[in-house]
Amino acid sequence: MEKEILFEAKHMRKEFGPTIALKDVDFTLRRGEIRGLVGENGSGKSTIMSIASGMQPATKGEMFYKGQPWNPGSMVEAQDAGISMILQEANTIPGVTVAQNIFSGHEAEFSTLGIINMKKMKAQAQQRLNSFGISHIKAGDPIDRYTFEDRKLVEIVRCVTDETEILVVDETTTALSLEGREILYKLIHKMADEGKAVVFVSHDMDEILEQCTDLTVLRDGEIIGHLTREEMDAPDSVKNIRYMMVGREIGDKYYREDYDTSHSDEVALELQDVTLGKIQHFNLKLHKGEIIGMGGLSGCGMHDIGRIAYGLEKLEGGRVIRNGQEIKTPLQAINSGIGYISKNRDSEALILNGPIQDNIVLPSIPALEKHTFISPRAEKKLSDIEIGNYRIKCHGGKQYVNTLSGGNKQKVSFGKWTAKGSEVIIMDCPTRGVDIGVKQAMYALIEEMKKQGKAILMISEELSELIGMADRLIIMKDFEVTHQVERNPDLRQTDLIEYMI
Amino acid sequence: MTAMVHEKEKQTPAQWLKKHGSSVASIGGLLFCLIFFTITTGIKGESIWSASKLSTLIGDVIVTALMAVGAVFIYSLGNMDVSIGKQVGLYSTLLVLVGNATGSLLIAILVCLVIAVIIGVINGAAGELLHMYSVISSVVFMMVLSGVSTIIYSNLGTRNISMNPGISLTLFRQPWFMVLVLAIEYAVIGYFFYFTKFGKYARAIGANQLATSQSGVNIILYRVIPYMFLAVCLVTASLFQMGYTGAASDSTGTGFEMNVMVSLILGGMPLKGGMKSRLSCAIIGSLTFSLLAVGLPIIGVPTNMTFIIKAAIFLVVVLITCRQKTGPLPR
Repeated sequence: MEKEILFEAKHMRKEFGPTIALKDVDFTLRRGEIRGLVGENGSGKSTIMSIASGMQPATKGEMFYKGQPWNPGSMVEAQDAGISMILQEANTIPGVTVAQNIFSGHEAEFSTLGIINMKKMKAQAQQRLNSFGISHIKAGDPIDRYTFEDRKLVEIVRCVTDETEILVVDETTTALSLEGREILYKLIHKMADEGKAVVFVSHDMDEILEQCTDLTVLRDGEIIGHLTREEMDAPDSVKNIRYMMVGREIGDKYYREDYDTSHSDEVALELQDVTLGKIQHFNLKLHKGEIIGMGGLSGCGMHDIGRIAYGLEKLEGGRVIRNGQEIKTPLQAINSGIGYISKNRDSEALILNGPIQDNIVLPSIPALEKHTFISPRAEKKLSDIEIGNYRIKCHGGKQYVNTLSGGNKQKVSFGKWTAKGSEVIIMDCPTRGVDIGVKQAMYALIEEMKKQGKAILMISEELSELIGMADRLIIMKDFEVTHQVERNPDLRQTDLIEYMI
Repeated sequence: MTAMVHEKEKQTPAQWLKKHGSSVASIGGLLFCLIFFTITTGIKGESIWSASKLSTLIGDVIVTALMAVGAVFIYSLGNMDVSIGKQVGLYSTLLVLVGNATGSLLIAILVCLVIAVIIGVINGAAGELLHMYSVISSVVFMMVLSGVSTIIYSNLGTRNISMNPGISLTLFRQPWFMVLVLAIEYAVIGYFFYFTKFGKYARAIGANQLATSQSGVNIILYRVIPYMFLAVCLVTASLFQMGYTGAASDSTGTGFEMNVMVSLILGGMPLKGGMKSRLSCAIIGSLTFSLLAVGLPIIGVPTNMTFIIKAAIFLVVVLITCRQKTGPLPR
């Protein structure tokens, strides 16, 4: 017998200016489901649930929640009614405590005559944190003290209450540490067992197949098909799902197929005896035509190495050298041919409230300049090439980045540095939030860059892509290198995990 | 890798209005004022288009517009400069004092430019170097320059000083010259704002300083340079301010920073700065502001009431153009 329908959308349509994100979509969610939503970037999978959770209104269509017409005016209203959404990017409030973040919008519960009882708020926040098994985060601490991954956990605590009936997890796991993911998985299964429902938006096919009870595939704003658990367990399911997502065979080639680790002897970037905080005397030589992969748990120090190599951190000791010159600032790094794709895409890599074109050409402006004049035509040409190369779904370079889907935003941040023609590219989680079709294209591009003699430092929390792409793999744990291994066909994730944990 | 994915479809009028709402409101406001005053002044037996009224209008708009054009650079950074009025007061005073002392207006202009550049460098760099809001350093300058003005005029033993008749200022009273200088300033600043890295970086910094910095932009340098453009514009505005009357006083420039701010907002300038900053806001806003200043008294509105009407219009425009729709954070 089919379970009770908890949420239903009928003929839902959403337009962003001239872009149609959803075309007449019907979507039903039943109690006890962990529904996976997959699709390429810009397919509309996040849009459906952002409308359901009050983040934005639909252009057309009807929604029903618990059998009643549903039209939330805000996310707070939706959350109070039981629909919560954990967003893809960091969404905590800086400059206040963890407790204030957890109870933002609900201060009245702790208020007497307008004065908030902070002690009570802190105690209840800590209780909530402990109940989620994340007692290492202290409710009274300023939120800024915590890492991106920990802040994401705070968001989960903020979103999920006993009253939550539908939890939407939008590309959140890529922003979580391994422990954080386990906490989230435990939570969603508990909710499903209690007869609630979870919508899981992810590009990680393994994760989707492992965690979800049902799957919906979207493409270009339309639902292409549904898969039950049995269909998901079928032998060719992954291939079929990918076909449904992309609308064409994407082939078997995904990562590099060669095991040729040869590269130039010329050092493109060197970190000499680098010391910063817990990172002590770190050394690295990246050669022309080499891809070095750095893996580990999120807080292991690998992201810091990327920032150091790009001149973003003031070192306590050691040097970063490129072409015999010391790199101390991003400007020096860029001038010497280094590009950097930050993990914190929305806050560090992109100007969200700006056109795609302006974002892509920003690092290339000095190169476009002729006697102070920057030709709008040259800017457009450069931007259009990257938009075309990455198949960015947009109606032109003038479209604002904040109207793009997560993956398309990531393509813009990638395009900045390919447009600049950087010789050394530091990629921190380069394919985060990017769909398989684009991932495949990006891997092909990285392989092509290697062939062109470019040096790549690829920092990633996805071991599979490091194994698939890197010539040399460095595993870090607690700010130290615990293992180094050359590319080889026998390398498995299980061989590396012991050095990470 | 294949070709660009286009999803071109026609915009509905509602979508177009949503995208261009700010421009429509600001240009609409200006057009409304123009039509309204053309009709109402006609009823009162006067015309806002008469030579004398047009001359008054241009005389009123010129100083605000010259300042506002330069201030667009600062506002695009997400900054605000409240020392503008006191700076114009000081430069007007110095133009008279140095002009009279040396007999050369050119030397006086150069002195003003040097001081304006120094103030600009400090205003632009202080925020970044001292990790504070840039407006704070401009508040400091506002107070310091107010003190300097008081000292100058108390030492002179007067509250007004006049330019030596030997130095001709007739040109600065000619409406055609005012329009010409404003057009030149607009063209030059427009070039730097739209077609050079100075403007592009300023807007990028206003939109996201961190991402701009990580794209290799020297934040301090490109925060200071806009103040250089403002410095030149303020000295130019001071020339017309002083040139119109041939005099300066201890109250010259008082409240000008507010005139600039109101004009820019009336013109549709986003107070947060960033990529939506437009130079045209300065002209549209200044014209609207001056039309109100000149038109309201003609139709018989008492002077004290004009402030209330201006404030009401300002409030409406702010509500239409500056309201943020980011929505609440999920708990």
